[in-house]
Amino acid sequence: MARPRSRVDLLQGTLDVLILRTLSAGPTHGHDIAKSIRRRSEDVLNVEAGSLYPALHRLEARGWVEASWALSDKGKRARYYRLTPAGRRHLAGEESKWETFSRAMRLVLNAAAQEGE
Amino acid sequence: MSSVLRRILWLFSRRRRQQELDEEIRFHLETERDEREQAGEPAAEARRQARIDFGNVALVREDTRAAWGWTAIEQLYQDLRYAARMMRRSPAFTALAVLSLALGIGVNTALFSFADVMLLRGLPVHDPRTLVRMTWRTPQNEMHGMSRHATSYRDPEVGFTGGVFSYAGYREFQTHSDLFSSVFAYQGTGPLTLNVHGQAEPGAGEYVSGDYFRGLGIVPAAGRAIDESDDRIGAPAVAILSFAFARDHFASVADAIGGTVNINTTPFTIVGIAPQQFFGTDPGKVIDLYLPLHANVRLESSAGAAAARYTEASIWWLEVMARRQPGVSLERAQMELAPPFQHASDDLKVNSRRWTQAPSLALKAGDNGIDSLRRAYGRPLVMLIGLAALILTLSCANIANLLLARAAARTREMAVRLSVGAGRARVARQLVTESLALSCTGGALGVGVAILAQRWMTALVTNGLPPFAVHAGLNGQVLGLALGLSVVTGLLFGLTPALQATSRTTISALKETRAQTAYGWRAAGTRRVLLIVQVAIALVMLMAAGLFLRTLVAYQSIERGYSTDHLLTFALRTRQAGLTARDAIPLFRTLRERIAALPGVRSAGLSDGVLIGDGGSFTSVEPAGREVKESSVVLNVDGGLLSTMQLRLVKGRGIEERDELPGAPPVAVVDETYVRKFFSGVEPIGQYVRMPSEPVANLRFQVVGVVANARVARLTGDREPTVYFPFTAGVFGEVGEMVFVIRTAGDPLSLSSAIRTLVHEADPKVPIARLVTQDSLIEGMFNREILLARLCTAFACLALAIAVVGLYGTVLQDVSRRRSEIGIRIALGAQRGQIVVIVLRELLVVVAIGLLVGVPAALTATRIAEALLFGVTRSDPITLALSIGVIVSTAMVAGFVPARAASQLNPTVALRVE
Repeated sequence: MARPRSRVDLLQGTLDVLILRTLSAGPTHGHDIAKSIRRRSEDVLNVEAGSLYPALHRLEARGWVEASWALSDKGKRARYYRLTPAGRRHLAGEESKWETFSRAMRLVLNAAAQEGE
Repeated sequence: MSSVLRRILWLFSRRRRQQELDEEIRFHLETERDEREQAGEPAAEARRQARIDFGNVALVREDTRAAWGWTAIEQLYQDLRYAARMMRRSPAFTALAVLSLALGIGVNTALFSFADVMLLRGLPVHDPRTLVRMTWRTPQNEMHGMSRHATSYRDPEVGFTGGVFSYAGYREFQTHSDLFSSVFAYQGTGPLTLNVHGQAEPGAGEYVSGDYFRGLGIVPAAGRAIDESDDRIGAPAVAILSFAFARDHFASVADAIGGTVNINTTPFTIVGIAPQQFFGTDPGKVIDLYLPLHANVRLESSAGAAAARYTEASIWWLEVMARRQPGVSLERAQMELAPPFQHASDDLKVNSRRWTQAPSLALKAGDNGIDSLRRAYGRPLVMLIGLAALILTLSCANIANLLLARAAARTREMAVRLSVGAGRARVARQLVTESLALSCTGGALGVGVAILAQRWMTALVTNGLPPFAVHAGLNGQVLGLALGLSVVTGLLFGLTPALQATSRTTISALKETRAQTAYGWRAAGTRRVLLIVQVAIALVMLMAAGLFLRTLVAYQSIERGYSTDHLLTFALRTRQAGLTARDAIPLFRTLRERIAALPGVRSAGLSDGVLIGDGGSFTSVEPAGREVKESSVVLNVDGGLLSTMQLRLVKGRGIEERDELPGAPPVAVVDETYVRKFFSGVEPIGQYVRMPSEPVANLRFQVVGVVANARVARLTGDREPTVYFPFTAGVFGEVGEMVFVIRTAGDPLSLSSAIRTLVHEADPKVPIARLVTQDSLIEGMFNREILLARLCTAFACLALAIAVVGLYGTVLQDVSRRRSEIGIRIALGAQRGQIVVIVLRELLVVVAIGLLVGVPAALTATRIAEALLFGVTRSDPITLALSIGVIVSTAMVAGFVPARAASQLNPTVALRVE
């Protein structure tokens, strides 16, 4: 049955960039991706499994990441994701978009704060 | 690798990917739990928190799978599985729906591809569109000697249409090289005796002019074609074999080249083989070999008469086709050719008794070849396709009806689905998938039905001849048509119920009680209309079937004057086998005696033609000393024929064996019509008659007997006077062939092998031609009527069955909807009979409205069939009354069963269910 997609849609662009950025440090598995996003964002961004795995598989389908099975540092079989060259290119483009966007946001917010004082 | 391609590849490793996803999720949960344990949480709490943190595993799994991009395919698969489950759950409904669809789709497909072969497909020759066929027209209604050509026929609108020309006329066309790049002529050879390896057999060929193969653009499969150098008197005797004949008689097709085929004892050298798909210019005709036009001089019994065909302008015998020069339109050719033709035919009219109105030229497009089949079957096929389309409509209406009923029963299911969040489109799609699954199953079976129906119709149309030219079978077109019909019908009967089922307001449907939901009001209205349509269509079908059955019966019950059952006939062509009359007559007489002596044979006789089924000889036989215009049917018979026919003797004696003896005085036997026409008021016995034609113009035949009227030569039309001569008198020239007529005690065909042995022993050079029963020959004359009667009857039964099922289903639904009402009525003391009447009343209203619509529809629709009827008018009141009677009575039966069940309801049980 169809589920409301709004949450996924809202996060989609953001989450994809976060995942790709995490993977640019090296191949890793889903649990680790979620953990490292949480840690790096100082616990602000909590990536739910319900969003993470669909996003990972979607990225795989688009050819931006590749997956293969390998043993984790705990000695268990885990599905490791790796950034593909296409994924790296996509990430570069998305990152610069985000830079522009967040700088613009900051400028607007700062301007608003100064006026308020 | 594109993402679409990747997704498709994933689809093949579907199961593995799902296992991997499960493992991936498990790994995530275990890692989370392990980390929590390491952080000091108790094992149970760590596991619980890991799960809470992860969220709904099933949902994650589903959302991730959605990312694989197969949702549409997966949903289709789900829908199909669900559809299959629904089909299995109501096997009766499924069987009925699939069966009626299979029949509807199958019959439509068969008829259509049949029509395509017979009516639409062009000749298998080079560029058929530039071919022209020459014909002429005259307002004259009767043309003696012409009606036996397949291309010549009486046309009610213009009088008489002819397709044959004189040799000079054909040559005239050839002079117009500015209009035509090629003009060629051809004509059937009539029955031949072919002998390849010492084995004689009957066959048929086509005389073709030197430009025939070049003009049609036919390249032989082997050897060379006939050309101008072959087509002149004195040229070597050569033949082109049809592909099928060569294949059947030689080890390989190429082996035949240079071989010899004996045609009526004359050896012809085989120089070429026609291509496999080529069948001449008439798809209805089977041709074994092609001979140069002028070969007729070698083959015809009278070389003089054969030669006269090339010199006499009054002998019209050649069919002519031409190929237009580039840029020359049919209209221009017609305009330029008509004046010279008119001029020549005006001259002819003056010089010939045959023409009372000079013919005028009419050019026709030649791309379809000769239209004899089209003329006979065009209208019936169009009509049958119309009826088959109606049947399919009926099937669709019926299934839509049943689906509506089922949708009504599933209202709650749909409401629940919609209320838990299923998209309306998704539910509608699921319902449409169900109906498509149904219709495609029907379509698949329909292909089987189509193949069987095609085979049956081909056999009937080609009169049991090997279906050579009109060969219908399973091909891409048939499959495509079946698929197209399946999809269209599936959408047709699936959409309405789907839309109706999903358009109901969710909440109100859930609040309704079971009794209310079982029968939605709007659905009920639609169902009533569908039922009325069904009844009306069933009436049209019954009417059509009734009219064609009555036509067939009328044909078959034409008074013949003698019994045609238990009659076996076959022909022996002695002249074609090289026998002179002196050898042939003793052979015929000996064989007759030996056959008559066979166990199971009552008597045997000889006639110079088949009694009915093959035309006959019409010529004038005059009472001596008078001249009459009217022609009589002439039959040359032996001493055994009249008694074998069991024809009633009115006066005097019949032809007897003593009349066969050499030197016997010339005698004749006439029928009552002849006496009425020419000997009225005179004692016929002892009178003399004569035939003004050679070779007996100077002979006077004494009338020795009068027999009752008998239908010979023709089965319909006015009765012609008939005269019987002893066959040994040779009124048409020397005896060259005779037909044996054998009256048997049991099944006539059981004697075939005994007869074959006898004939072979008597003379192995003479083949048996057309060993068939007289009744099957008569049946062959009514192929079209049999086809129509049987198909229409089948259609009518189908339509009736579909309507009955629809009516039965409605009443059943009605009863279950009104269970409590009926229970209350019974509890309050209503009689059983009253309950039956209450239930049936509604049904009768539907049937009555259906008939009100159907009767005018039937009376209008039968107008199409009018020209095909015989012995019955299209608005025949008996047929109409019977059709109505059948519908009303079957509807009553269909309604009575559930109505009776309702009347026997136990009121306490019925009321407690609510």
